[in-house]
This record gives sequence, C-alpha cells and structure tokens, in this order.
Amino acid sequence: MHTSNNNKNRPGRLGRRQFLSTGAAVAAFTVVPRHVLGGAGQTPPSEKLNIAGIGVSGRGGGVLQGVESQNIVALCDVDWAHAAGTFKRYPNARQYKDFRVMLDKEARNIDAVTVATPDHVHAVAAIAAMKLGKHVYCEKPLAHSVFEARKMAEVAREMKVATQMGNQGQASEETRLMCEFIWDGAIGPVREVHVWTDRPLNGINAVYWPQGIDRPKDTPPVPETLDWDLWLGPAPERPYHPAYLPFNWRGWWDFGTGALGDIGCHRMDPIFRALRLGHPTSVEAACTLVNNETYPVASMVHYKFPARGDMPPVKLTWYDGGMRPPRPEELEDGRAYGTNGILFVGDKGKMLENRLIPESKMKEYKAPPQSIPRSPGHFEEWIRACKGGEPAGSNFDHAGLLAQVVLLGNVVLRPELKETVNRTPLYWDGVNMKFTNVTEANQYLRREYRKGWSL
Amino acid sequence: MKKHNSTNGVSRRGLMGGAAAAMAFTFVPKHVLGTAQAGGANSRLNIAAIGVGGRGEGDIHECGSENIVALCDVDDRQAANAYKTYPNARKYKDFRQMLDKEDKHIDAVIVATPDHTHAVATMAAIKMGKHVYCEKPLTHDIWEARQIAEAARKAKVATQLGNQGQASEGRRVLCELMWAGAIGPVREVHSWCNRYISPRGMGRPGDTPSAPKELDWDLWLGPSPERPYHPAYLPFSWRGWWDFGTGVLGDIGCHQLDPIFRALKLGYPTSVEACSSGVNQETAPLASVVRYEFPAREGLPPLTLTWYDGGLMPQRPAELEDGRRMGEADDNLFVGDKGKILGYRLIPEAKMKDFTMPPKTEPRSPGHHREWITACKGGKPAESNFDWAGPLTEVVLLGNIALRMEKQLYEKGLKLYYDGPNMKITNLPEANPYLRREYRKGWSL
Repeated sequence: MHTSNNNKNRPGRLGRRQFLSTGAAVAAFTVVPRHVLGGAGQTPPSEKLNIAGIGVSGRGGGVLQGVESQNIVALCDVDWAHAAGTFKRYPNARQYKDFRVMLDKEARNIDAVTVATPDHVHAVAAIAAMKLGKHVYCEKPLAHSVFEARKMAEVAREMKVATQMGNQGQASEETRLMCEFIWDGAIGPVREVHVWTDRPLNGINAVYWPQGIDRPKDTPPVPETLDWDLWLGPAPERPYHPAYLPFNWRGWWDFGTGALGDIGCHRMDPIFRALRLGHPTSVEAACTLVNNETYPVASMVHYKFPARGDMPPVKLTWYDGGMRPPRPEELEDGRAYGTNGILFVGDKGKMLENRLIPESKMKEYKAPPQSIPRSPGHFEEWIRACKGGEPAGSNFDHAGLLAQVVLLGNVVLRPELKETVNRTPLYWDGVNMKFTNVTEANQYLRREYRKGWSL
Repeated sequence: MKKHNSTNGVSRRGLMGGAAAAMAFTFVPKHVLGTAQAGGANSRLNIAAIGVGGRGEGDIHECGSENIVALCDVDDRQAANAYKTYPNARKYKDFRQMLDKEDKHIDAVIVATPDHTHAVATMAAIKMGKHVYCEKPLTHDIWEARQIAEAARKAKVATQLGNQGQASEGRRVLCELMWAGAIGPVREVHSWCNRYISPRGMGRPGDTPSAPKELDWDLWLGPSPERPYHPAYLPFSWRGWWDFGTGVLGDIGCHQLDPIFRALKLGYPTSVEACSSGVNQETAPLASVVRYEFPAREGLPPLTLTWYDGGLMPQRPAELEDGRRMGEADDNLFVGDKGKILGYRLIPEAKMKDFTMPPKTEPRSPGHHREWITACKGGKPAESNFDWAGPLTEVVLLGNIALRMEKQLYEKGLKLYYDGPNMKITNLPEANPYLRREYRKGWSL
C-alpha cells in the first residue's frame, strides 16, 4: 500500500516507521484483524469504514469532512444547534448527545471514531472508544493532562487500534524537508530551537480567544439546545457561561490547554521529528501575571533535551501571545518574519521553517535526495491504517509523547508554581512521569475527574 | 562642580552619555540668571512643586530640609496630604500661574506630574532659570527629552531625574565589577520588570462620567489631545495610556537601564525591535519584549539589550543555583565572555565570594535628592542631571516607538533603525511622528 515498504531496506532511505519519534520506535506496531478484538469485522481496503464522530461542530465538522470518503454512521454532540450543519451534511447518520450512549448503542456498527470535543473530554471519549476496539482519530492536543496523554498511548498499544492525532501538518512536505535538511547537516548540529505562535492572538492586533481573564460571576441560563452537564464531562462542576463555549474554552485551565496546547502539537511536531526528541530533562517558564482561571496572555517556556544519538543536547524555547525570538541577523531586511515560526540554530547556520537563511545560502544549498516517504494525506494515512495499512504518522505512540511534552509546559505555567519556577527549573523524569525536584508539581500532571467520570 | 577624577581614570562626567560628554557643565551664581538667590551651601532653597500627590509627595519629603514654598496640583484630592503637611506653602492649580507669581520667590522646582506634562512644566521652569528635579521618565517623547537637556545646559541650572536607584551602592559596585573585567566583554544584557504597574492592553472607555469637582480636567490634560474625563485615567492609571503615560518601559526603564548605561557606557542604539501581547493605539501592551542593538563603544564590543515586562523574563542562567530566585521582580542579567552578573553580583555566588573586589573608584552618593540640592547650591552636578538623563530617556522612549510600530515593522519585515545624533528613524518614515507629538492648542515647550 505504501512505497515506504519498498524503501525500508534501501540504504539512506527511511521508512515511515523510522520517521516517527523515539517514543514510537520502541513499540512494535502491528495491526491485528479487527475480529480478533471482538469489534466490527476487519475492513478490507476496498471497503468503507463505518465512522462515528464525537464533537462534530467546528473543527469536528472539518475532521468528518476529511474522512467522509468513508461511511459517517453516527454523530454525537452536546449541542445540537451547534451541530446542525454537520447533521444536515450527513442526514443518514444517527444522532446522539452522550458519547457513552452512542458507543454503547453503536458498538456493533462502527469501526472507528473521531474525537473533536473540547480538550477536557478528549481522553475519556477516546479511551472509551479504544477500549471497544475502535480506531481513533483525536484532535490535538491528544489530551488535557500529561497523564491522560500517556494513558491514551498505552491503551492504543494494548488494543492495537489505528490512531492519528489531528496535527495535520505532520503530513506536509515542509515537515519532511525540515527533517531531510537537518539530517543532511545543512546547519550542523542543532543546540537551540525556537518555536512561536501568535495565539491566543490572531496576528499582531486581533484576539483569537481571551486568556488572562477571571471567572465570570453572572450565571446566565443554559441555552435550550445545550446539555451543559455533558459539556462539562469530567471537568469540575461550575455554572454555565457563554465565556466558555463555543471555542473560547481553549483559554480556560479547566477545559482547554491554552495557546501551547492548541498549537504546540502542530509546531513542535516537525521539531520532534527533525531533532528526534524524546522527553526533556527540565522545563522552565515565564508568563504574564494573571492566570488563575485562564492561561496567561503571553508565555515563554524553555525545555532542555539531552543528547540523542549523535545529536547534542538542545534547548527548545516556546513563545506565544505575540512573543517571538528577535529577528535573526541572517534574515534580510524586508523579509517577512512571521507571527508563527520555527527557527533552528545550528553550529553552521540557521533555518527559518524549512529554509536556510539568508536566502542566498538556501540557493547555494544542494538539497539531499528525498529520504522520507511522502504522505498520502493526513486523514488518508489514518483511513489506510484502520484498514490494516501501516501506522499513521501521528499515531498515539508518537502523539502521546509529543502531547506529554507539550502539556508539561502548561504544568510549569500553573499559577500555584510561579514562585517555585522562579527559583528552579523543574527536572523531569519522563520514564517515571514525575518531576524529581518539586514534588508538589506532580499533582498537575493529572487532574481529578468529576464524580461519574473515569478513564 | 569640578570634575571628579577617579583613580581608574574614568571621571563622573565620562559616565554620561555621548551628548553630555560634549558639554562642559558650569554653574553660574543664580543672580546672574536674574532669579532668586539660591545662597550658599548653608542657606535653604525655596522650592515649588508641580504634581504633589503620590510620588510627588515623596519627592517633596525627600527635599524637606529646604523650604517648600509653593505647591501646585490639578486635583485637590491628590494634593490633600501635601497641603496638610506644608500648610504655609501657597497653593496653585495651574503651574503656569504658579511660576508666574512665584518667580521671585523660588529657586527650584520639583516636577512629578503624569509623564505627558513633564516637559512643558520642566521647560517653563528651566526657562525662568529654576533648578529642576523631574520624575522619570524625563519626558513623554524623544524630541522633548532632547529639547529639555539642551535648555538645561543653556540655562545652566542644576537638574536631576527621579531615578533614585542611580545613587545606590549597587550600581557603583556594578560599574567597578564591570570595569575590572569581572565577566569580560559583555555582548548581551537582559533587563526586566515584572511588577504589576497599572492597567494596560485595553481600549478607550465609552462612557463619560462627570469629572470630580476637585479636579481641573483641562489642566490635567495639559498638552495632550482633548478627550472626556474618565476615572480610568487617574490617579495613577494614566501610566498605561499612550496619550499620558509611557507604559512599563517608560515607568521603570529609566530606573532599570540606568546602571546598564553607566557600566557599559551606552549611547544611542543602532536598531530596536519589539514584540508584545497586542498593541493598540490607546494603551501600552500587557507584556512586551524590546530589543536594542548598540554599536561598539570605547573599546567595548557591540551588544544587545533586551527589555521584558508584564511577567516575562530571560531564561534562567545555568550559573544560577537551584533554589535561588531569578532576581527580584525586576533585575538585570549581564552576559559576559567570561561570566555573568545578576543584578550587582557575579553568579554563581561561589564566584562572587572568590572574586577580589576592585578598589572603590566610583564616588559614593550622599543621596539622590541630596545630590540635587547640593548642585542647586553650587555643588557638583547631580548624577542624573539632564545631560545624562536626556539621552537615557530618549533610548527608553525609542523602545515605545518600536512597540507602537510593531505591526508596521512586522508587515515590512524590518527592525527599526535609528540615527541618534540626528534624531531620526531611517527606515520607517511613518515612525518619525512618534518622536515628537503634537500639543493641544495653547501648549508649547
């Protein structure tokens, strides 16, 4: 099905499997025929998958469109008014409000599930589906907490289901070029990398969603079409407020994962691949001052990664909310320096995204031959994996690790740890999932679920 | 008054910025200038104060050894304390009136209004030959700072900016460490202020409540563009509004960058760039990072100076021991070829303990306000006199221009290039109007 199978044994070529990060490399990933798992029968490549969607408005609708070459058989959303457009697009799909009810009733009818709820519901929904042996496509970040992200990867391995996280950039040509250039030694060993997003801003001036605000005190009535209790899911009880949904949940600690969670899995993914990153050894951060209820308006998070193979230790700095590293001196005056970007600092040069700077250096550079198999498309990867093909590029072995590292940054941004973080880096033991020098930080790796909810 | 030569050959004058270095600073007896006689070192100055609430009140107390003869404030509520403490001082609402009526009775003026009124008040006093103590930043825009420094030189009055940290032991130790080569040549400095100063990052209020009867809103506005009164602007919260204040950088930059300028002999930068948590034309951002590039100076290599506010900081240096706070709410980090200094100390602390301090070559201060009082009475110039403070303020305010031009710079893919001596932004003409703002009708320097 994939050209990569042919490439695997050729010198200098890498299979898709090897393109995955270290976390993935340790786990052999084998697809077992579906009937072994007691779920729906194995879907041969020539047949269509039966897919159910959990969280089907907004991005959830987009995800379904990405896989609508298959059969969309069931749809679940806690707000049917919000889901109306998607319901209309798939008129034959059965409609649900509670994903638990849907999974229960549809267990025999579905092969795979897409999860595009707010972040705080990702893990409970995805794990419920995987435990039924369903393949899962889950939006980024994989989960709301480090613990959940790890657990999701574990369950996916155990159940041997095909998985993919919603960081579609991983399927791009740009990601592959970045890796090929770095591996070619285009800028020498990399000891420093910077990655930034404008979010929660949208460009220089506009606000995408609010952060740095306090909890509203008024308690307007819940809209008739919304099941607020289901929307809350495992998050702590609180009264409904339109400040949380739709969309703006991203900025709230209890529901979203802030700018870092929203964009980190997109933008750190190519860095993880190109620099073969695993767990960091320490994390530090500085951020704006108001972040008790919502994520800060702007932050800078510093990760230190140990040496990997022949690659030296590297410092990775994350910026959001309008912060970014200074213009590198190699960048020509008049050349755009984006509100989102990745800057690799190598011993022998710099790369902005997948271009050496200055441009004259890029022009002189003789790009290496393609060594990484190109993607058939992010959704197609998952569909093929569900049908017994090779694992998708952001399967949960890869995505689980990536999401854990991204979400670690949010732990360091916790307001409760501000004073501590001002006094020491937090040292991270990735294998044992704990901070070694600040034990009170460990409680933020995992959150308590509201009564009635569990993984 | 006379040049104070230190043993390592760096004079106090030599610490001043490029503009200052060129000017000889000489005191002329007050009567030559046609103003009140300041008298000898033992007689008291007659001081008038403009803006006497909040910080202004503090400045007056610091000069309490002298005669406080007149007080001016546009808001009786803010002035109430000072009025009570100095019951014999004559009271005014309009500083122009006060200067006019008190001309013959005062030697010196303290200016502690909101930033947007510093220059007009200070300039009026200087033109009358009065000595001036002005709160930081010296002015609201760069052109004003240059005009004020020049006028002070011409009028030969004694001046001091309100950055009292310059008088500290710490900044002298810093200079001595640096000049002794404790960390080798410095190419990188980071400076931050993370105190919550005042509200920022919002738009103009839409409602128009009536002004309190104690406040003369028109006088408070001074040279700023007309707008309706709103409690969002005062007291104190004017700092965040571009028409009145100068943001955190303006508020704290003159404090925080002063020792860096002295220790590393900085003058004008060649470029500035900035990023922020969102610019708008009404208020300063909630958080910002401003980066200046300075050219080589007096045998020192070029350096970058990065300013952070709103909670942001540079990354913790590896030399700082775990458990030790990353400076205080505001601090400076110097990165040298041979080591680092956090604040005024080498890091790690072990390195500081091992280090043999050089001799104390920098003259110690009798106190920041005392320096000014001494200068007013014919003593040597105060350390933050306007020859020094003018260029310092200009550089601080240039950072605000980079912030306000963030979008334009972003869209054009540029940082801002600055020609300091000619006071011109060379690569973004639309930024130049921010060097000098227009005054409301009836106001001028």
